[in-house]
Amino acid sequence: MANAGLRQKSELVLAGLVLGLGIFVIAGTAGITAAGSAIGLGPRFFPFLVGGALIIVGGCYIADVLRGGRGDPEESEDVDESAGSDWRAVALVGGVFLGFALLLDLLGFIVAGALLFAGVAWALGARGLPRTMAVAVVLSLGSYLIFVKGMGVTLPAGILEGVI
Amino acid sequence: MDSFRLLLDGFATALTVQNLLYALLGVTLGTLVGVLPGIGPAMTVALLLPITFTVPPASAFIMFAGIYYGGMYGGSTTSILLNTPGESSSMITALEGNKMARRGRAAQALATAAIGSFVAGTIATALLVVAAPAVVDFAISFGPEDYFALAVLAFIMCSAVLSRSLVRGLASLGIGLAIGLVGIDQQTGQARLTLGIPQLLDGIDVVIIAVGLFAVGEALYVASRLRHASPDVVPVGRAWMGRADWSRSWRPWLRGTALGFPIGALPGGGAEIPTFLSYAVEKRLTRHKDEFGSGAIEGVAGPEAANNASAAGTLVPLLSLGLPTSATAAIMLAAFQQYGLQPGPQLFTHNPALVWGMVASLFVGNVMLLVLNLPLAPLWARLLRIPRPYLYAGIVFFAGLGCYAVNNSWVDLVILFVLGLLGFAMRRFGLPIAPAVIGVILGPMAEIQLRRALAIGAGDATVLVRSPIAAVLLTVAVLALLAPLLRRRISRDVPSEVRR
Repeated sequence: MANAGLRQKSELVLAGLVLGLGIFVIAGTAGITAAGSAIGLGPRFFPFLVGGALIIVGGCYIADVLRGGRGDPEESEDVDESAGSDWRAVALVGGVFLGFALLLDLLGFIVAGALLFAGVAWALGARGLPRTMAVAVVLSLGSYLIFVKGMGVTLPAGILEGVI
Repeated sequence: MDSFRLLLDGFATALTVQNLLYALLGVTLGTLVGVLPGIGPAMTVALLLPITFTVPPASAFIMFAGIYYGGMYGGSTTSILLNTPGESSSMITALEGNKMARRGRAAQALATAAIGSFVAGTIATALLVVAAPAVVDFAISFGPEDYFALAVLAFIMCSAVLSRSLVRGLASLGIGLAIGLVGIDQQTGQARLTLGIPQLLDGIDVVIIAVGLFAVGEALYVASRLRHASPDVVPVGRAWMGRADWSRSWRPWLRGTALGFPIGALPGGGAEIPTFLSYAVEKRLTRHKDEFGSGAIEGVAGPEAANNASAAGTLVPLLSLGLPTSATAAIMLAAFQQYGLQPGPQLFTHNPALVWGMVASLFVGNVMLLVLNLPLAPLWARLLRIPRPYLYAGIVFFAGLGCYAVNNSWVDLVILFVLGLLGFAMRRFGLPIAPAVIGVILGPMAEIQLRRALAIGAGDATVLVRSPIAAVLLTVAVLALLAPLLRRRISRDVPSEVRR
């Protein structure tokens, strides 16, 4: 496999993140100054254990990757393990989702939700934009009616405020 | 027979028209979502969790029980009719079941899976009725050090046994424990790891963690390497089977149940090990050895029964001790917590109507699932043809909807996305998701029990092993770190193509 070196490097990043998370947990709770000693253990004790364990496990993980160990990517019905990574699709799905998160309150659920569905479907290679948009609008409108009118869930109406 | 009388009361709760409708809604939604490719039982439960919040607790848990069992049924349909490998607990079903389907015996494969699931589910739920109160009687005297030891055992077991690499299982667990620390410390009111973001003070909602790691993580992972060929679905009619199939199926069903229930009830047992064991046993005992590998009905009947029985088995420690032993159980525990309920001995004394109503509805749901699944198989099969871009767009859509509805905050959606990226990275590099979910949900409870125990012991750490139960549990936890070696021995009995 030509990109085995690259794969090992990116797995090392994840292992490093585990170790870094351990340091973060200990450093991030070190400044807490609660008086815990009177009743036994303060709020820093358990994070200290977790952080310490993460540092040890992260170290072992790095050692394992360096020795050539590798995890098996998860299997799923729709995953083609022989395919190379399609970073464009991942970035598009991520971008569409973040756009949804930021625009939801402004546009309202029906519009933002329809754009989310259509955007992700398009990023994953859905064919026929008019049909995708139609499915998106029906799904978003239907969900809004079922959840908001039927089940009493609160979702923002946004620009369709008063219309629906 | 005190629990028998309570169970009858439970049936009185479960059999009201309103609760029957909730149960029907639960099993239908559970099957519908569970049958969709790429969605296992844990993700089914996580995605449908927000829906249950709008109904009263007893009805919500009845619906939830239906979703749980429905998701298990749905998964087997997927693995039989779709010719691609799925998640590990249904991999064995796919092995023989899909071969049967290819040989034109899809109807029989679906029938033995559905009836076997019904038989196993009913027997195992009956065993749950007997076992759970017994465990409650035993656990009523548990002190905080015993609960802490139980949590440690669950942590180690799920990390060591559920994953193929111990260090990756532990790394996943640690990530989960760290996420569980975020928010205000319940005992001192101090904020921990909140990065100054006010929305993090209450901690990250479990719905968001579960949906992020499972649903958004899966969608991003699939996006990175989507199989672009159109799905290869075996056509099927009504599920049925003949006399010969019945006589070849009933013993594997019972043996699968006998393996699945006890192993499912053990910490770290899960569904994967009993299905592997059941397959190995059936292969050894069958009179049709030549058919194994090309579609033997015993190889579907046994593992499917084991899979469903283990689902009921995980409910024993969950309900009686508050101890989740699988990712699905951890999410169910989170559902209880959303209603301010804590599973354990107190739940049985304070909320008997709720517990027994839920257990009774498991029996009811099983009957409904059998009735739904045998005639409706062609309908479920049609769902497998759904275009993949629509399927994953739909998953992301409902993930966003459900998580926004928890707090009505866009910040939650950003957190959801970050957790989705984490879930993506974990899938890509083979870090199991289950230990992280169990760590998130059980971690805060472990901390409370640890601090309580040490406060009672006035700082003396030996208090943790002073109770014989705690000492035994912690010893087992240490031994469990050696379990991966044992597991390798088990898997030798299973054909190598399963293990790759």
